[in-house]
Amino acid sequence: MRRKFLTLLLAIPAVMLFSCSSEKKDAAASANKPDSLKYKGATLNILCWEGYADEKFTKAFADKYGVTVKGTYFGSSDELVSKLQGGGGSSYDIISPSCDVASYIVDAGLVQPIDPTKISEFNNLSELLRNMTDVKRGNDVFGMPFTWGPDYLVYNADEIKEEPKSWNLFFDPKYKGKISVWDDISNIYLMGQILGLDKTDKAALYNMNDEQLKQVKEKLMKLKPQIRKFWATAGELDNLFKNKEVVAAVGWPITPATLNKQGMNLKATIPQEGATGWIDRLMITKNSPNKELAMLYLDFISKPENMAKVAEVTTYSIAHQGAKQFMSPELQELTYINNMTYYHERLNFWQYVKERKKYNELWNEVKSGVQ
Amino acid sequence: MTTAYSNRAKAFLLLPMVVWLIAFLLLPYVFIFAQSLMKSDAFGNVVVEFTAESYIKIFTSKLYYATLLKTLMMSCLVAVSCVIISLPLCYFIAFKVQSESRKTMLYTLIVLPFWVSYIVRAYSWKIILGQFGILNGFLLTTGLITEPLEIILYSDFATIICLVYILTPFVAIPMYTALEQIPKSLVEAAKDLGAGSLTTFFRIIIPLGLPGIISGATFALVLTMGDFLAPILLGGPNTLFISNIVQNLFGTSNDKPLGSAVGIVILALIVLVLEVSTYFEKKYSSFKSS
Repeated sequence: MRRKFLTLLLAIPAVMLFSCSSEKKDAAASANKPDSLKYKGATLNILCWEGYADEKFTKAFADKYGVTVKGTYFGSSDELVSKLQGGGGSSYDIISPSCDVASYIVDAGLVQPIDPTKISEFNNLSELLRNMTDVKRGNDVFGMPFTWGPDYLVYNADEIKEEPKSWNLFFDPKYKGKISVWDDISNIYLMGQILGLDKTDKAALYNMNDEQLKQVKEKLMKLKPQIRKFWATAGELDNLFKNKEVVAAVGWPITPATLNKQGMNLKATIPQEGATGWIDRLMITKNSPNKELAMLYLDFISKPENMAKVAEVTTYSIAHQGAKQFMSPELQELTYINNMTYYHERLNFWQYVKERKKYNELWNEVKSGVQ
Repeated sequence: MTTAYSNRAKAFLLLPMVVWLIAFLLLPYVFIFAQSLMKSDAFGNVVVEFTAESYIKIFTSKLYYATLLKTLMMSCLVAVSCVIISLPLCYFIAFKVQSESRKTMLYTLIVLPFWVSYIVRAYSWKIILGQFGILNGFLLTTGLITEPLEIILYSDFATIICLVYILTPFVAIPMYTALEQIPKSLVEAAKDLGAGSLTTFFRIIIPLGLPGIISGATFALVLTMGDFLAPILLGGPNTLFISNIVQNLFGTSNDKPLGSAVGIVILALIVLVLEVSTYFEKKYSSFKSS
């Protein structure tokens, strides 16, 4: 019997050991060689949202320096923070935090300042994004503006013929069991928005009091029977749409971008209540083993032709307006490159939530169905 | 046992195992237990300050104790289902199959699913149970239903099906071993004395096989308690196991002390289950395995 117990217990660390693949830490070669040879054989590790380390744009960089660019995707801001705090800071060189945790990551000392003078296009990046103060501390700049976009209402236009005007579509009995939302506390922001909490103050969604959280919880409990599945990754949402398990969902532009290439007819909209949105930056981790190479990557990816490729893969709005000469008119329209300020004002961008633990606990309570 | 091995030699043989256990089992548990008594700050860093806060939370906040109880009930359901499936199967292989080579073949078939990784097998249930999956496709072509069933995938039901499928071999193996050890002469004696097949099964085979059944059921119960993958992949909006909460506390909420405390409570519960099952296994075991 003891043996049975031990076998079970032993299985746990054993599984953990085998599942943690050992990250290879390639040391950059000697400093005397030219750039093209200096980093040969190194691996640049990027911990980012899905689509941010796509071969379509990383390959040119990898070929130029003879390095490997390895992307690891995270599924939520919390997951990123917890990976960094769990000691992952030295396994990754570049991260792509959103504006909800960006200032938190800077304050927690998980990233190092970047040198904007080494990014040739830095001053051509959107002024609006560049001037945001949440990732600046004194003269130090901690992040390079990369992409931004909305948390859309994504719907299957073959099933829902008319463009939804309101998020209340999610509560329509007609679509019971056909809705999916992200497995993340951002649903709390969304319910707050549906309840109109951010009418006068955008920050209200991120600083709700107990009474407001209670209302949001009730709303989420009403939403639950409508939900087929909470999606954890963009890839999972793609599958839910593809297998016709859902007809409408909260999603990012990458979902229609990916699925419409495969012949589906998905559309995305910002309903009348508005939508939340995110601004993603690229940052270099405090203990990055390849700091110089990481800076070279930031310089590379900020170039208009490469930014255009990022837009093509993700259909997210990008930080470099000059990229539009490399983009088709459709893509320009999808990514709002010509009227960035207008869309910027329509979105309520995620902010740091002081009571993040409370928000997370509420979300868990909703999932477990506890009143 | 003779004294052929000196104590030193014995210690030497045991050394790798002892080192392994201390380094990878004992120390981590001590660490987790110590962490469970601490606090975490706003940044999710652990603050060294002793408090029973996390434990109080687990037993007062419904989210934690209700989920724990629900998981325990799901685990019992999975264990019972596995036993119901395994019992006839093992009985058949142990008593009805005569040829040894065929027995070995059937036994291998039980073990065969282990060759494919858990995650692949769990994913395959998505293909089977999906709205346009194999099961719905079959039911539609046979005309039993006219609209694809939506309730199957992404529900507690799907999670349980997957777990029962994954864990049945864990139950069948110890059960088969127990049934195989029952002397055939006892079964023959029962029949000679006029017992029917059912009487023999319930009064001879079940009681004698009980230690194996309990042992198998315990495996299923304990492994379900610790599973978080099946609920993530196949569960619906209502499916939340206690391990999902642990994963969430470490991977999302960044509350390591609370996560550790939940872990310790699960561990205590599992130890309790194992102790009870050992007690009953001993009580009913009439044959000492040689």
